[in-house]
Amino acid sequence: MSLWSEIWFLLGKEVKLEWRQRHALSGILLYVLSTVFIVFISFQQISPQLWNVLFWIIMLFASINAVVKSFVQESGNRQLYYYQLANPLAILLSKTLYNILLLLLLGGLNAAALLLVAGNPLEDPGLFVLAVVLGSIGFSVTFTFIAAIAAKTSNSSTMMTILGFPVIIPVLLVLVNLSAHSIGLLQGSMIRDDIIMLAGIDLLLLGLGLVLFPMLWRE
Amino acid sequence: MKKNWWKILGPLLVLYSFGMGLLTPLKTGISDIRPQFISAGDTVKMEVTGYNSFYKAAEGQLRAWLKLDQEHALAAQAIEVKDDRHLVLHFVLPPHLPQDADQADASLLIDSPVDGAHVYPGGIRISQKKTNVAPGSGAAWNAPIEKLHEKDAITFPFRNILGETIRNTYYHVPMWFAMFLLFIGALVHSINFLRRKDLKNDRWAAALTTTGLVFGAMGLATGAMWATYTWGEPWSGDVKQNMTAIGLLIYGAYFVLRFAIEDPERKARISAVYNIFAFSTLIPLLYVIPKLTDSLHPGAGGNIAFGSEDLDNTMRLVFYPAIIGWTLIGLWASQLLYRMNTLREKLLWGH
Repeated sequence: MSLWSEIWFLLGKEVKLEWRQRHALSGILLYVLSTVFIVFISFQQISPQLWNVLFWIIMLFASINAVVKSFVQESGNRQLYYYQLANPLAILLSKTLYNILLLLLLGGLNAAALLLVAGNPLEDPGLFVLAVVLGSIGFSVTFTFIAAIAAKTSNSSTMMTILGFPVIIPVLLVLVNLSAHSIGLLQGSMIRDDIIMLAGIDLLLLGLGLVLFPMLWRE
Repeated sequence: MKKNWWKILGPLLVLYSFGMGLLTPLKTGISDIRPQFISAGDTVKMEVTGYNSFYKAAEGQLRAWLKLDQEHALAAQAIEVKDDRHLVLHFVLPPHLPQDADQADASLLIDSPVDGAHVYPGGIRISQKKTNVAPGSGAAWNAPIEKLHEKDAITFPFRNILGETIRNTYYHVPMWFAMFLLFIGALVHSINFLRRKDLKNDRWAAALTTTGLVFGAMGLATGAMWATYTWGEPWSGDVKQNMTAIGLLIYGAYFVLRFAIEDPERKARISAVYNIFAFSTLIPLLYVIPKLTDSLHPGAGGNIAFGSEDLDNTMRLVFYPAIIGWTLIGLWASQLLYRMNTLREKLLWGH
């Protein structure tokens, strides 16, 4: 099997697995909804600036919770089985792709819920959607690789936060900046620089993941 | 002795950088001028505060100019010396500036046979009411600046705002160099571990990363001290400060990761992978992002780099030995850590 068909097949497996255990998916979706609701109840009035920051903070915590199970939900024996069948790159890429889809869903839900309860501050929805897409890719690329490391430790969800947060800060800073442009909080022609920087960080992290994952995978 | 010469060299170089870096005086400079806002056509009494200056000794031989650009300067009419550090300069400003503009920035240049020539760069604003001046009205700005004195002494440059804190160049900057070199060493050992699976490489990588992190923390601390006196507060939200803090957090997680894995081989492999990952994220954090955004640091965000102007040859004489010295001390400390951990493993596992 070529790498692409392997990735495609494994992606299908991830989706099927998620669909069979719907409690995980519905759990994380409920997590987003209830966080938005808690935030709304605590703040009552949400200014555009706060809207922007809250969106990304909720997104950050929801993503870390959604991605952490990538490598721990399947048992060690089954991982060994995959290792004999599939290329490690296909495994990493299929999980990353699956997490991108999952985070896009989370981002959409998060935005919809915030728009519903806190009003619509968006001036350039296209740019905001672009920020969410780039953000989902960045979060997914980073956290999937970090989840692979954290899965090797005894306390993977704590390790996920400790390892993941410092690495994600630069991505998060650019994202907050980019979506602040879409809300009209920032003016100027820095948008292109932000997008290039974000794409650059995403590519760097993806490249690192691809190079290092095969060494991590092997037991 | 033949094998351990570098352990003596390191502390010696650091001691040298302490002695030379703290004892060498700064060049004569001008720390304050008032008034700084003057108008064309006025007669101005300008009070000047010198730094490390000996004006009494040079009384009668002092000269001073207000310098607009390479061709236009105005000499002081009279110079009163109050004491070694205070002068009063009398300028009679011509009614017009040579430029056809509302205002111009001038530098003050003082020449003394005792202290040498020193300058207050660009801090004096001269305004003129009438624009649209006739050509040739700047003819009075024609004082020649010539026969300037040079002082023959070993000194460090004087920079306004920086003042004496310029010496921190020898303590703050070498911390980063040492940290970076130690991290590179750790990176090489991590890569070698993944290639050869020798636990020695892992112990070296851990020891070098530990020392590197200590140097990083000291770099952050010396930087915060420096920032208190030059930028106003220890944490100014400068992008390089923030990114460095993130970088150190990423490296800090390396140790948490090591604690979280029991099996030595697995611990070594995972932490080697993470170490390569951490180093690769450090480069964009410290050297790419700060260059793209606004920063207070030199060499970032469009600021001039710490180049020939700020780092003169006398400073290089202290700066480079300090880098070498601190790096050698870092290597020594890492070696001790490595040996300690090797012995501990031996006690634990008996081999």
